[in-house]
Amino acid sequence: MISKIIRRTKISEWAYIVARVKVMRRKLIPRDEYAKLLNMDLHEIARYLEETEYKKEIDELAYRYSGVDLIDHALSLNLSRTYTKLINISKGLSKDLIVLYLRKWDFWNIKNILRGKMFGFSNDEIEATLVPAGEFDEDFFKSLLAKESIEEIVDAFKGKPFYPILQKLVHGEKLSNVEDELDKFYYTSIASLSAESIDMKYFIDFVRMEIDIVNMKTIIRLKKEGISPEEIMSKIIPYGYQLSEEEARKLSAMDLEEFYKAIEGYWFIDHLKEAIMTQPISKIENALTKVWAERMIKKSSNYPLSILPVLAYILLKKIEIDNLRIIARGKASEMSVDEIREQLVIV
Amino acid sequence: MEVQPTRMELIKLRRRIVMAKKGHALLKMKRDGLIMEFRTILEDAKRVIEEMVHRYREAQEKLALAMAADGVIAVKSIALSVEKEPSFTLKRKNIMGVVVPVIKREVVRKSVAERNYGIIGTTARIDEAVDAYEALIDAILEVAEIETTLKRLIEEIERTKRRVNALEFRVIPEMEDAARYIMFKLEEMDRENIIRLKKIKSKKEKAEA
Repeated sequence: MISKIIRRTKISEWAYIVARVKVMRRKLIPRDEYAKLLNMDLHEIARYLEETEYKKEIDELAYRYSGVDLIDHALSLNLSRTYTKLINISKGLSKDLIVLYLRKWDFWNIKNILRGKMFGFSNDEIEATLVPAGEFDEDFFKSLLAKESIEEIVDAFKGKPFYPILQKLVHGEKLSNVEDELDKFYYTSIASLSAESIDMKYFIDFVRMEIDIVNMKTIIRLKKEGISPEEIMSKIIPYGYQLSEEEARKLSAMDLEEFYKAIEGYWFIDHLKEAIMTQPISKIENALTKVWAERMIKKSSNYPLSILPVLAYILLKKIEIDNLRIIARGKASEMSVDEIREQLVIV
Repeated sequence: MEVQPTRMELIKLRRRIVMAKKGHALLKMKRDGLIMEFRTILEDAKRVIEEMVHRYREAQEKLALAMAADGVIAVKSIALSVEKEPSFTLKRKNIMGVVVPVIKREVVRKSVAERNYGIIGTTARIDEAVDAYEALIDAILEVAEIETTLKRLIEEIERTKRRVNALEFRVIPEMEDAARYIMFKLEEMDRENIIRLKKIKSKKEKAEA
């Protein structure tokens, strides 16, 4: 795949996929609608979703699930279908880059299958956790589920560059470490690519910015838990956009006071310093996601004929799914409107 | 109560009455002590139960939030990584002769780094839900310990109460009745002897005259 994507793409190729994505983006729920959704009950939300892009999935899953579970699974299925659609409507470099980016979900699925198999959960239960939206399709993951042992599942990836990581699991490595290594592999395999063209540069920078966000979330999360700098560093993904490994090491070793001072100036901190000092970690994560999404929207409008509008859409779609899920689950568990609103990332 | 109306029996009975009265007083003191202990623990129990209810609500909220923010799929997959059930060791403690359990919790709460799921691919909401549930398990074990202690204390208070009542209203009065009976009987026998002696004396005097 790496050899294929080091090539130039015609502007007309971008124009097609960007135009398609523009149409898809118009179907995203506008930010004003969230205020209405927040005031609806669960049935009204389901009815609202029946009038949107999610109708097909809700109708399809209604015989298996009900209530909030139905909404939840419909949202996941819609997400996986939307991403698959993006792969199908794109071609050439754009397709390669989209598949490369959506491989995130392959690792998500592999992790869930390994977890499920290791802890003796049924195939049905594991299947419910899968989002086939990357390089491997649903049938491939079903074939993995049919396998009896972890060894057999790991062997199915023989020849893949991440096979040695999976093999560690067979040799007794902790699952959590293997999961983190897979995530690191995913990001570094993209971020370490050489930017042969401007299109590639946009793509790699996008992923490297995501690495910054993920690393910052990890540092804040582990620092507030009092984890040692060495352990924090073992979870840091290299090739950050602005937050290099060396800087991450420095931040990890600082005490919280110094840390709050040192984070000023990073592109993702913006006006978040106060929130990072005072808010619970989950809210900080939300705020960082919001800053990232806003930055991507801005960047994608600056470079309209590039992969960036597609990547921004992928990001916004995920945020929309998360928001809808938060509203539905929040309503189902009788959380107050304000509490739910605080959890949303409205871009 | 079947007793032999003898002086020896009376002495024995009096000793037993003294002993029973001492025992009664001691048991009464024990009962009162247990009740006081029960009341103190009851206050603790109320606090611990309230804490558990609060933690339960909090855990439910955090779980809902984790499910809402990360989706059932994510939460389920994290749940899949739960490796072992929380365990505890049971020790014993003595409160005024009542053996009550002391539940020693084995550390249920693990730090984020020790948990069996990757850090990079998960969010802090899941940590918060895991934390909240681990705190809930601690609270449940605390309630289990205090509830068992309360149950054992109630049983012991009941048992002591029955003993106090039995001594107060049955054993001691019966022994006192028996002692009184023996006394009457002995006095009766004394009087009979005096009369007998008087009669012998008057017969002797008549014969001499």
